[in-house]
Amino acid sequence: MERFIADLVKQYESGALDRREFCKTVALAATVYAAGDAAKAQAPRGFKMLGINHISYACPDYAKARDFYASVLGMDKTPGKDNGQRANLAFGPEPGKGGQFVVARTQRAAANPRPPAQSFVDHVCYTISNWSDERVTAGLKASGRPYTARPGNVNVLDPFNYPVQLANIEEETAWK
Amino acid sequence: MEGYVATKLDDFDRGRISRRRLIEALTFAATSVAATGSAKAQTATPSLKVALVNHISYSCPNFKQAADWYSKVFNLDQVNPKATEVSLPFGKMDEQPMGISAKDVPVSFIIARASDRPANPRNASRPNPEAVIEHVGYTVADFNRERAKADLIAMGVKNVRDGGLYSLHLDDPFGYDVQISGLENNALTDG
Repeated sequence: MERFIADLVKQYESGALDRREFCKTVALAATVYAAGDAAKAQAPRGFKMLGINHISYACPDYAKARDFYASVLGMDKTPGKDNGQRANLAFGPEPGKGGQFVVARTQRAAANPRPPAQSFVDHVCYTISNWSDERVTAGLKASGRPYTARPGNVNVLDPFNYPVQLANIEEETAWK
Repeated sequence: MEGYVATKLDDFDRGRISRRRLIEALTFAATSVAATGSAKAQTATPSLKVALVNHISYSCPNFKQAADWYSKVFNLDQVNPKATEVSLPFGKMDEQPMGISAKDVPVSFIIARASDRPANPRNASRPNPEAVIEHVGYTVADFNRERAKADLIAMGVKNVRDGGLYSLHLDDPFGYDVQISGLENNALTDG
């Protein structure tokens, strides 16, 4: 800024710039500078959350997990997204329109291992629409996996004993 | 089945039934077994279909710190506070999740929980899981990777890094891997 004004003064002194133009230019420069500062000072706002995109699930055998989540929980195996190490399992609205997915992957040693997190996701709960206790428990019974049930709410262990909860809207909302 | 075949064969050998009757009986029995197998295969069609993630239960050393971080980064309200947890819904109580028309599917939420909370006695006999949720991906509106990266860094978010064409990875306050993306990252494009 200082250099810019020094140049303006030089032009004014040499007669290349009249007094009126000089004043206007300096005032404009000051306004632009202040606007830039205000923009810098404005704290970035957080993002607008639309929803869960996906859950990355790592286990000893992705195929076993894939088959459980597809056959018991009704997730769709995404065509072309199973490479023998991982598979995308879609559910909910269409992909790209609010749809979510589980990435079931076989756990491998990472090339660049990250420091272990101090936190973890201890379970995931899925909503079942049009809930029926009989239908839900029949579906879980057929899976052969251990589960506990109460009205509108069941807990089941998947093939790798990861806890999965299924619930209806009466049992599980953020406000309940 | 084997016992039934042996009985019928015995009947034939002893002249109790004709060759034709033997064939009919065994054919009927064999096709009945196949039909039962087919019916069993059909019952493997899922009777359940999950609609959406209801919530993610997130355990950490300081749930209030986690809740404040997720509130700040994703503009989430904190509701239903309890001694060891608080919920962060992805919308207001009367809102519908994106793309969902059913009225009985609530907006998803995170429950930030204290990892040292008293154990639920119902879970006492649970075996240790062999699987982990290694990261969670969140969809945000108007995602632009470069702009999002600058915003995250300005917010003091740690370890912001590219996650392919459509997303970024970052660390939450406890080093948990979080991914953010727009709608372009989905089951058809990821991986």
